[in-house]
Amino acid sequence: MTENRYSLDGSIRIEERSEGLLAVCFDAMASPCELLLPVRHRSEAIELGTAVANEAWRVERKFSRYRKDSVVSVIHRSRGSRIVVDEETASLIDFAQHCFAISDGMFDITSGVLRAAWHFDRSDRLPPQADIDRLLPLVGFQKLQWHRPVLVLPPGMELDFGGCGKEYAVDRAYEQLAALHSEPFLVNFGGDLRANRAPPSGTWKIGIERPDTICEASMLLELEQGALATSGDSHRYVMRNGIRYGHILNPRTGWPVMGAARSITVAASSCVEAGLLSTMGLLKGGEAEHFLGEAGVQHWINR
Amino acid sequence: MQLKRGLPPGAALRQQLMAASCALLSSAGARAQAPDSAPFLNGLLDNLSVDSAVAYYHEDGRIQAVEPIVNVAKTFANGDALDVNFTFDSLSGSSPNGALPSHSAQTFSSPSGKPGHGYTTAPGQLPVDPNYEDNRVALSASWTMPVTRVTDVTVGAKVSGEDDFVSFTLSASLAHDFNEKNTTVSGGVYNEFDSLKPIGGTPDPGSDYALADKTGNRTKDGVGILLGVTQVMTRTWLSEFNVSVDRFHGYLNDPYKFTSILDASGATTGYQYESRPDQRLRKSGYWENRVAWDALSTALSLRYMSDDWAVHSVTAQLRVRWNLPGEQSYIEPSVRWYRQTAADFYMPWIVESTQPDSPYESSDSRLDAFHAFTYGIKYAHRIGPLGPLASSEFNVRVEYYQQKYQNPNTNLPDLQGLDLYPELKAVLVQFGWRY
Repeated sequence: MTENRYSLDGSIRIEERSEGLLAVCFDAMASPCELLLPVRHRSEAIELGTAVANEAWRVERKFSRYRKDSVVSVIHRSRGSRIVVDEETASLIDFAQHCFAISDGMFDITSGVLRAAWHFDRSDRLPPQADIDRLLPLVGFQKLQWHRPVLVLPPGMELDFGGCGKEYAVDRAYEQLAALHSEPFLVNFGGDLRANRAPPSGTWKIGIERPDTICEASMLLELEQGALATSGDSHRYVMRNGIRYGHILNPRTGWPVMGAARSITVAASSCVEAGLLSTMGLLKGGEAEHFLGEAGVQHWINR
Repeated sequence: MQLKRGLPPGAALRQQLMAASCALLSSAGARAQAPDSAPFLNGLLDNLSVDSAVAYYHEDGRIQAVEPIVNVAKTFANGDALDVNFTFDSLSGSSPNGALPSHSAQTFSSPSGKPGHGYTTAPGQLPVDPNYEDNRVALSASWTMPVTRVTDVTVGAKVSGEDDFVSFTLSASLAHDFNEKNTTVSGGVYNEFDSLKPIGGTPDPGSDYALADKTGNRTKDGVGILLGVTQVMTRTWLSEFNVSVDRFHGYLNDPYKFTSILDASGATTGYQYESRPDQRLRKSGYWENRVAWDALSTALSLRYMSDDWAVHSVTAQLRVRWNLPGEQSYIEPSVRWYRQTAADFYMPWIVESTQPDSPYESSDSRLDAFHAFTYGIKYAHRIGPLGPLASSEFNVRVEYYQQKYQNPNTNLPDLQGLDLYPELKAVLVQFGWRY
């Protein structure tokens, strides 16, 4: 598969793929990322791939909660004082506010602090309720004071754009590329992807990893154009008394959503929308099929 | 949540999701076409908050003060924060000089000895210097640096100057968060250096007023430590506790205060400048609880202070903030109760024929035993997110202060019928603007 492999300062590689495709590969957001192009566009691959990678790294640098110089870290250090955020951050917070309202408070970018209580290490250790009770006061988008562009984050609360950041990066990179290049391409950041049009071979073949079935072949999807996003990580759970507690947490109770699917893949016109639908599907627990069916989107649920 | 009639709930929800996604991506896309703009943190560099107020303070028949305050806080992209505070006080009016009322008129020279600034107090009136005037300018700045994700270091300095007084303070503190930021422990130290330059010189402690035994400038200095814990108790309850100890050393007198000297019948025969110890060790503890309900939030605080001059004081304060429907305005009534015991050398007068118990004396009413109530109400209105004053807050605060002294009656015949410890009433009105 990787007969022909080029490297640009080690961070971007070019690989040839089957069906006449070329992949520009790099790592970002803790995931393998790639731009797929028909091989005849080899001469533009580096330029286009660099644009995609730069966008992925930019979004990661700006919104990662692990980086001290990210906007998110600056917001976390504001300790309850007023902070004026830039346009892009404001748009993401607005988006998160919409999602919070639409999902009746289930999609909540402030729920990340609950991670401090839960360790989904496949052990049988459940956190003490007291730990969860201590964290719940710090969860709830409605506790933010948000008057665009002014944000007041109560002390101790945190924002986490992890629930939509990768999908957002895909859409941003896609839009940049669409302005530069009208030939077929597909942007794929760790399984969240978006394509502008069908490749010469007819369809993009997408392998969706099903992590709980490592030995089996991953699920293969064919896509002409549009976006796919997958949410869920079936490696992350706690098993106690035969009950499986997956890593999808209900921000209102601080406990895992019971009966949540292991992963959900949704097709939609943008990656952000697909990601949101798949995440909300997980949050619906056993109702995921019903919910996604009513939403009228193509979806694949792995239970 | 409002759903569109006629569509299955899932489909309506999908439409809302599409709308939200489009709003996000289109706003981002519009910017993507702009030339490579300045680094994203530039937007955050505008991170400035301003808190300003003008207070008008009026004591019934005595001092009045106008005090503008401006506080500017700025957080930098790397997490450092700068806080600058500027205060200007302009005091004028009449200030008690420490002497007792008398059945005969009392004449005092001005502290500077300037002709025309002497004054005479009518019989039965509390002697006050009617020409009291002072302007104070204070500037303080502090710099907070995050050392780790959970530890901050703050260093600060404060300079305050009056016509006759300069004060300089340096401080440093460290705050550390534990327990998922539910617990913050802090510790700090400060060091203050003051220099007094009273008009006409500094009186020697205990010297005779008429002899005006005054020499040049004097100094005092203080060191203090503060330890505190802030704990998130439940989702709606925050508790803060701190203790501090400080020690001042040097010339601790008020250079304009003196004490009446009475003869055996209680008639005033002269005055002597106050004489306080040259050291003061103060310990205090403070406990505040803030609890929030839906539209109400309350803050209850208790403070206890005790010093080696035998002044012990207790303050209890309750504030209740009521968020009015719409969340744009709130009303905050408050009540504060204060009580203190007198310093062991407090004496409202000296009887010349008796041997004093203590080498120290002061008739300064601030060292007397008293209790006080303050009633206040504040109204604040936040401007919405649009327009030139977007997201700023206007507020107005009114406080009424009432202070009563607790002294035993005297049987000195010449003091009968005089209001020796007149009650103090004051009103404060403050207008504020926060951005």
